Amino acid sequence: MRSRTTNIIIIALFVVIIGVCFYYIYPFQSSIKLGLDLEGGTQIILKPLETGSEEVTDESLDKAQLIILNRIDQLGISEPLVTRDYNRNIIVQLPGVDDPERAIDIIGKTAQLEFRILESFDENENPVLGPVLMTGDKLSKAQAGYDPNGQIVVTMSFTAEGQELFGKITAENVGKRLAIVLDGEMKSAPNIRQAISGDAVIEGIATLEEAKDIALVLQTGALPVNLEIQESQTIGPTLGKDSIRQSLLSGIIGFALIAILMVALFRGLGLVSVAALIVYIIIFWGILAAIKTPLTLPGIAGVVLTIGIAVDANVLIFSRTKEEILKGKSKYMAFTEGFRNALKAIIDANITTLITAAALYRFGTGPIRGFAVTLAIGILISMFTAIVLVRAILFLIVNSRAVTPGFMGIRPSQIAKLTEKVVKEK
Amino acid sequence: MVSRKKSQKKVKKNVLPVSAAKSARENVQTGMELETAYKIKDEASGKKDLTAGGKSVYGHEGFGRFDFIGKNRYWVIVTTVIILTGIVFFFAKGFNFGIDFLGGNLMEVKFKQSTSIDELRKEMESIGYGKAILQNTDADRYIIRTTPLTDEQKELIINTLDESIGIERPLIQDRNVAPGFSKTITRNALIAVAISLVGILIYIWIRFSVRFAIVAIIELLHDILLIFSFYLIAQREFNTTSIAVMLTILGYSLSDAIVIFDRIREELRINKRDSFPLIVNYSLNKILVRSLTTTATTIFPVIVLVIIGNETLKDFSFGLLVGILSGTYSSIFIGAPILIAWNKRFPKYKK
Repeated sequence: MRSRTTNIIIIALFVVIIGVCFYYIYPFQSSIKLGLDLEGGTQIILKPLETGSEEVTDESLDKAQLIILNRIDQLGISEPLVTRDYNRNIIVQLPGVDDPERAIDIIGKTAQLEFRILESFDENENPVLGPVLMTGDKLSKAQAGYDPNGQIVVTMSFTAEGQELFGKITAENVGKRLAIVLDGEMKSAPNIRQAISGDAVIEGIATLEEAKDIALVLQTGALPVNLEIQESQTIGPTLGKDSIRQSLLSGIIGFALIAILMVALFRGLGLVSVAALIVYIIIFWGILAAIKTPLTLPGIAGVVLTIGIAVDANVLIFSRTKEEILKGKSKYMAFTEGFRNALKAIIDANITTLITAAALYRFGTGPIRGFAVTLAIGILISMFTAIVLVRAILFLIVNSRAVTPGFMGIRPSQIAKLTEKVVKEK
Repeated sequence: MVSRKKSQKKVKKNVLPVSAAKSARENVQTGMELETAYKIKDEASGKKDLTAGGKSVYGHEGFGRFDFIGKNRYWVIVTTVIILTGIVFFFAKGFNFGIDFLGGNLMEVKFKQSTSIDELRKEMESIGYGKAILQNTDADRYIIRTTPLTDEQKELIINTLDESIGIERPLIQDRNVAPGFSKTITRNALIAVAISLVGILIYIWIRFSVRFAIVAIIELLHDILLIFSFYLIAQREFNTTSIAVMLTILGYSLSDAIVIFDRIREELRINKRDSFPLIVNYSLNKILVRSLTTTATTIFPVIVLVIIGNETLKDFSFGLLVGILSGTYSSIFIGAPILIAWNKRFPKYKK
């Protein structure tokens, strides 16, 4: 059907693709970006809390993501990833952090700073506060340090507008106590002796570390939504290394077993499909390296599964081809029919799997998404290597003398039966 | 064997060849062994020469090497027993849910010196966490699972264990999940399953027919039930990854079903003479090598993972292993018989 030249061009194209893939794969050690479960690191999932009548808007979540990213930057963590999932949870990924507790602490802090008048204390010693007079959004700078008495404080400077407002508030409330409230907790409540136009300080902080954290979150601004930590996960580097080593080993052993089985069943055809499988793995690797999608543990499962799918396409084609040969068809016709008959089933099966992958991607969270991506990529590549490439190679060699029934894994006894039948018919 | 004798007797009673042929056809559809059914049919039509093509369109090949349809009832029993055992375990023990479903804290710790579950239990009891689930994963490596912890509580546990036994830093893994978080995960998973099932249903409906589509969905539900049962019986941890495993298996099992459907459809087109059950059985035989080969190639890496993998990989590959086997099994032993039974009741294809 197809000319010799077309087949050669197809094979040449694959050689070029392999070349491009090697460009991305090299250097091997750092070619694939690993997910947190393999590389080690911390992942935090934060859920926005609906407070009162205020609805959580996409804009406020965008802003929250930006603020979180700023806070992480201040901590000096490299390559952080802040994303949002289908449920509007904010997902923070921090590769290789030594002290996740501090990061988790800082990221989740709303940092809602309020200035209110302390009116009195109730019978349980809880402060009774007046209305909010000013919030943290008029802050220009926050810094941790010691005051002249050696106490740990956070010093806050205001914007021009903030200074004016703060001056007005303090002027109107001389003699009262000004409560500085952070995330609903009264941090300090100094007496207002006179109108203040300069800086304000938060006192009553236990450690310098805590003061630094407070300064950091005040500096980066309050989160427009309250976030609650739903899940925090830290994977140490050893566990990830174990998983990679074991997955690789099982991949290699699995591949060897597949190769043995394919050659045992389909001889020469099996060899062609093993070659196509190697090309499949190279292209898969190249694409993962090129699009920089992190490879996660479920992602590896996806890879394993798609290897099965890729081989399956060949098994289908080859069994059909063998069947056609045993019906007494010529080699060329048998291959043509084999491919034609198997193709429908392969495409139908792959499309339904793609539907599953799409649903997983759309509605899945974190690791499940990674799995969906590898599954989809794998199915698409396998269609090319297992069908297009194998077809080009086989049609190129189909008429050579090397392609005997034995080459296709047809047993001598089956050939004898076939000859008998042909003789009978004549 | 018993059924064979019975049906032969029945044939002898019948005088008219037409009714004998009819009863033979019925016997095939009710699940009698195909070979017997064909003998009866041949006797009834007076064709004694089996090799001359009077037997079937498939000539010397007959109905195929294996009689899948005739022995159908045994497979139904196998499936039912597994699922019933699963149900018993569901009520007796329930799922061994991971912390992503229940909420909680899981730390995996490598100790600086060798210790034991008993020693760990004592240490945990001394600070009020006697109910923690402890598990040895590797030399000196232990999983400590508790209810969700605050930073202070976590620090208390780590410091206590560090002082008494000695902990290597950083921890191997540490995960804290708020209770109730799983609601979103479960809901998401259900949405994903529902959407893909509907998508698949529509696709097979368009490509094949509504009948094939519904049978495919029944097969998938069977696989899900079977995987649930194995998770229950083996008390393997059921977590978010298990859901990914389930969805994978849906895709895998479906490929299997489609390959078989495609073959049945093709044979139906070519073969205008034989009965539906015979065509199905023939198709199953033709697809058998492919089914087994594919199962083998997919399952090799998974088996290696079950053997050498760490706890995470084991939980995960366990589900894949069960699912792949169930997927292959269901398309042969569950899907095909349902198609036949359905066609008997409401003939759409020839009988």
